[in-house]
Amino acid sequence: MILIISTCKEKLSELEFVTPIERILGRCKTVHYSKLTQKEIDEADKIIISGTALADFDYLKHDWSWLTRFNKPIFGICAGMQAITKAFDIPLRKKETIGVHQVEVVKENKFCNGNFNAYFLHTLTGSDKFETLATSEGIPCLIKHPQKEIYGCIFHPEVMNENIIKSFGH
Amino acid sequence: MKLAVLYSGGKDSTLALMKASKFHKIVCLISVMAENKESYMFHTPNINITKLQAEAMQLPLVQTVTKGEKEKELADLKKAIDEAKKNYKIEGIVTGAVRSTYQASRIQKICHELKLWCFNPLWLKDQVELLNEVVESKISAIIGGIFAEALPLEMLGKTVDKKIVKQLAEIAAEHHINPAGEGGEIETTVLDAPVFKKKVQILKVDKKTERHAGIYQITEAKLT
Repeated sequence: MILIISTCKEKLSELEFVTPIERILGRCKTVHYSKLTQKEIDEADKIIISGTALADFDYLKHDWSWLTRFNKPIFGICAGMQAITKAFDIPLRKKETIGVHQVEVVKENKFCNGNFNAYFLHTLTGSDKFETLATSEGIPCLIKHPQKEIYGCIFHPEVMNENIIKSFGH
Repeated sequence: MKLAVLYSGGKDSTLALMKASKFHKIVCLISVMAENKESYMFHTPNINITKLQAEAMQLPLVQTVTKGEKEKELADLKKAIDEAKKNYKIEGIVTGAVRSTYQASRIQKICHELKLWCFNPLWLKDQVELLNEVVESKISAIIGGIFAEALPLEMLGKTVDKKIVKQLAEIAAEHHINPAGEGGEIETTVLDAPVFKKKVQILKVDKKTERHAGIYQITEAKLT
């Protein structure tokens, strides 16, 4: 079972950042990070951590350190990637990108190849210590933990690159 | 949270308003009237009706007119949103954006610059599902504009009901167009909805068609 963790402070934002992922995956379970239980973490085969609204930073106040002890695949989207970077003590820096930008794959990976367009909606990013799989305007936008199946994606694949989410789901 | 709805008077912004009002207080509507038919953001045939629709919902309307020139119209939109922020203390905007990254990203930027939340409750929704939800939500919307060769002009002025949804879905699948008009294939005008305290009654229309396009322009209407 794939567990989607919502990072949305506002329930209304979930229609925009969580519902589209649920639709792409089909069978999955969604829980807000503040209500997540150890049982749900243990039962998950894979975890996707969603993005949230541009004005929302509440998820950064949360303790995400449990992610470092989770040994199954994780895929963080935008705010979800920032949650991963927080868990691994990777500093976040200000970088505002809003709209459609080109992505260039720089390392072979199971999600994507070549160049493609993607939708960005973020003001913070960070990638130190992780491998860079793809960049946009020279800045890492798809990253991977050097050993574990933990991925961070600063753009929103649910908008223009559904296959990335499907690849992770399968 | 106090929110304003970017309101075109069509099915999408009305459905977005209804969804947002389940979680937050809608305190005003914002509508932008584009003089230019080719407006990138705001061309809607019956945008003149938003004043009546706002009255029907008993909500104040912040209305602005733009020449509809690329990017300049965004400055006009920003001004209107800023006015709503000052006058109605809004903390965020709701839009009916479904698929257009062009529109969505520009509104996101404006909200970011004005330190406002941006909510898009219909974002990435399947378009046939969206049409069905409009009907199931008891939103009474008519087709106010047709701008696609594949769509019969007889649909002009028809209420979007189950039959029309089926027809739109079939034509869209065959001709690879957007059934809910996300690519500008159709425009709708809402005459009634559960959030309306009164209905918009059409008194006079001017139906214009040209080759494969047509508009059902409401020239006179009242609330009943």
